[in-house]
Formats: sequence, C-alpha cells, structure tokens
Amino acid sequence: MPNQSGGVYGLTILSPIKQDPHLKISHSLAIRMYLQRLPQDRRSPFARVSSTHMARLVVMDDVVYVGSPACEEHLQAQYLVFESNFDGDLDTYLRQMVREAPKEVDAVWQHCDGYPGLADPGQFVRYMKRCQIETTFYFADVNDKTVQQTLRALQTQSAVAAFIEKNQGRPAAELQKAFLGVARALRNAPAPNPGNAIGREFADE
Amino acid sequence: MSNIHGKAYAMNAISPMKPWKTWIVRAVFFLMRYFPSATRNLVNLSFIHFARWVIVRRDAFPRLSAQLPKDNLKYDYLLFFSNFNGTWNQYIDAFSAVLSWGLNTIWHWSEKFPGAVPVTPLKNYITQGQFETDYYYTAYPHATTNDVKAAHRVQAAFDELAAAADKPADEFEKAYRRFLVRVQGDLGATGELPVGTE
Repeated sequence: MPNQSGGVYGLTILSPIKQDPHLKISHSLAIRMYLQRLPQDRRSPFARVSSTHMARLVVMDDVVYVGSPACEEHLQAQYLVFESNFDGDLDTYLRQMVREAPKEVDAVWQHCDGYPGLADPGQFVRYMKRCQIETTFYFADVNDKTVQQTLRALQTQSAVAAFIEKNQGRPAAELQKAFLGVARALRNAPAPNPGNAIGREFADE
Repeated sequence: MSNIHGKAYAMNAISPMKPWKTWIVRAVFFLMRYFPSATRNLVNLSFIHFARWVIVRRDAFPRLSAQLPKDNLKYDYLLFFSNFNGTWNQYIDAFSAVLSWGLNTIWHWSEKFPGAVPVTPLKNYITQGQFETDYYYTAYPHATTNDVKAAHRVQAAFDELAAAADKPADEFEKAYRRFLVRVQGDLGATGELPVGTE
C-alpha cells in the first residue's frame, strides 16, 4: 500500500479551490489569510487531531513552466494541497478531523469546490477521498512509533538527562530511591501536549 | 516563514514529465519499495522525518463539478513533499553530494532537469518548481529526526532499567552504570533552532 509506511499513513489531498471573479477577496486569498492566523503550537487544530505527526496546507496556484523547449500550460483551478503524516487508517483520521477541528476544517474547505460541509461526516470522508491522490512513494524514517509514543520518549529523554546530571556520585540506595521516584512520576504524568516543546519537568523529582 | 516550524522545513516542489516517461518513474519507485537498500542513504543521512513523491496524471487533477472546465495538459506532474531538518541549502547540498544517483534516477525524467551535480543548476531548477507552504504543523517541533530516534532508544533502555529497579541497591547501581553507558550518546537536549540558521 504505497500510502503507508509501517504504521504511518501519508495522505495527499488536492482540493480544487472555488473561483469567482466577482469577489473582492478570492477564495484562495481567503484561505491564505485564514491560515496565516492559525496557531502552529499546542493550540493548532492538528494538535487536537492527535494522531498527526506533521501536516501542511498549501495553496498551489498552478503547475510550473520550466522554460523552452518545454510547453507552457496551466491548470483550470488552483488547488488546496493537504499533506499529512499520521498514525492509523484514513477513515478514522478524517472523522477525527471532523470531530476535533470542525471550525477550522469548515473555515478552510468552505472555499473548495464540492465541499459538502460537516453535517454528515460520511459525506466529508467521501469528498476527501475523491480529492485524494495516491502517494507513489512514501518514506517515513521512524514508522513504528505513534505520536504519543514519540512525545513520551522525548519527555523521558529530557527527564533522564536531568536525572543523571543531578544524581552524580550519590550512594547506591539514594540513587535507586531517586530513580524509582522519577520512574513513577513519568509513569503517572499526563501525556505531553503535541505541538509543544518538551520540557524538563521531572528534573527535581 | 511558514515553510519552517521549529526544526522542520516543509518543502513542496513540482516538475512536469512527458506521460510516457511517467511509467519509468513508476517502475523506479516500485523497485525502491521492494529493495529497501535503495533508500539506505536516505536513512543514513537521517534528516528527513517524512517525504513523498506523488505522480499526478495529466487527466487526474481532481475535478468535482461540471462547472470546472477540464484540464488540457500535455504533461503528467511529479509532486515532491519533504519534512526535513536543517536549512534549504544544507538539504539540497546533501542531496546533491550524497544522493546524486537517486536524485538523477527519479528526476532525470522531468523536463529540463539539469542533473544533481553540479549543485547550482540543481538549486535553480528546484527554486523554479518550489511553491511556498501556507501552514505547517509538527507535533514535536523542537526535535530533529535524530532526536526522535535517540529518544526512543533512551525510552527502551529506561523501561528495561525501571522494570528491574527493585533489585538490591548494589545490583541496581551496576545496572544503572550499564544504562549510563548505553544512553550517554542519546541525551542531547532538544530546543529552539539556533538563531540565524533559518
């Protein structure tokens, strides 16, 4: 399945953008203006769609002309490109988008041709699949870890570095007690927020 | 600049291909899927989180309403999307220097591709076909690909030590020292991108 590498799915969607020469602000510009203001950190809609490793939204204005003797040609529409790398299967992911980020999905895709709205999530899923282009070759360097596993690992890495620094030269019994404390704290800690820096919260355990 | 979020750069590029050449590129990717050694250098470079090549046939750009006129294109198009660490220049330099064979095998079939070496015409060609990202999100913006791999190695070693941490203190100390040796190369801190490297 070329769209997948291990447990990671590489989604490529090209949604044709509506055209209306009578509008003061074109649909493509409206998308760009909205995206410019959309937060990228833990307030991002993709942080709520929590299986997302990385995602981008791009307005593709046209194909490229590489110069003579190649032919110059143009698309009939601009396209909104949605590229996402996420855990799990496509249907679950698209339904999670509807559930967790309906406001943002609507604000962006309302400018696209054929967008059915979100009242019926099944219709939205079908619409997105009609806009999907199969990935020809997909490369994921780490393809066997979920977003949550990676965030946990980064948190552990940070905590371990701080622990080692703080506990150099301690007697074995104290070291063991301190280690059990940090292990317990990490086990009971809430999952780190996607989109954030991973802090050193456990340095003082 | 929306191409960058934390330590990741989102690159988008497009190039035209004559339709008969598309089949050659498809065959190249088919073989790459079944011979993982073909991507060994990509794995060894370890600065790409995710990358993909997508061939869009000249008649396959989605068209969802009758109002939208049909495209009348002569070329198929090769789209390339990458999520990498480092600067644009570093990325292209590394591609040209280390992956020139792979680069030529994939893009040789695109119109007017100048070749992976020398690097200046390559950069000019990519600049011509690159388009900007309007919004970019990553769940772990301050971690590079190497950071992610290192963190998973630390997690595995930590879990092993934690599972056996209730042994007598002197035995624990020995296990802890072995743990230190095992993870010492994987403890680099994540954080903001150094100033001036964007």
